Amino acid sequence: MKRTPEEKLLNPLPGSKIAAARDFGIDLTLTVSQLRLTPQQRIDNLQAAMKFLAELDRARETGPIKKVK
Amino acid sequence: MIDLEKAITSLAINNVKYVIVGGVAITLHSSGYITRDLDFCYARDKENIKRLVMALSAFSPKPRNWDKALPFIFDEGTLRNGTNFTFETSIGDIDLLGEVKGIGDYEDALANSVSYSLYGTTVRAFTLDALIISKIAADRPKDHLVLPELEALKEALDPNTD
Repeated sequence: MKRTPEEKLLNPLPGSKIAAARDFGIDLTLTVSQLRLTPQQRIDNLQAAMKFLAELDRARETGPIKKVK
Repeated sequence: MIDLEKAITSLAINNVKYVIVGGVAITLHSSGYITRDLDFCYARDKENIKRLVMALSAFSPKPRNWDKALPFIFDEGTLRNGTNFTFETSIGDIDLLGEVKGIGDYEDALANSVSYSLYGTTVRAFTLDALIISKIAADRPKDHLVLPELEALKEALDPNTD
């Protein structure tokens, strides 16, 4: 019986492209999470991630908050 | 950061012929990769360039890193005089590609695309195969970072592999 995409990604066969991606450092559990979403949900999550990155950029520009004694 | 809803809705309202080709297409195919812009391949016929200008003018596009002291006019003439553009706009970065390395022009991009429903509209985005071909052809360090996951997804979604 053929395995599902999720099963293939979570338990890659040795020598496969999936195993190569895992060994490259790709977190395939995140890929599986993405597969479970609708395309609109994937894009909504991407937009939320972009907002978070923009917020990180702003925090980096401002620098760390100094403690007030 | 690009406001995807505003960009895609405006492109749809103005009936622009385009295919999403970059990081947003990669996300649509379930990659965890995070992009910050919207890249699309557009048809370069006169009517579509007119529609594209109508769709994006409200967002004041300017070439990225453009000297703010210099004027820039975003109009049909500007788009006809070039092919690929990297713009910053009031809703984020948008790259317009008349041609995509490894794939070709809009007609080629369309032939290598699939439909998705986003924000109540139908968009076309590169197939997984087209993304892999274009990333190999682009051959930049950032392209090589996404290729392993794209190839893994292709293998996972192929019903003929185990």
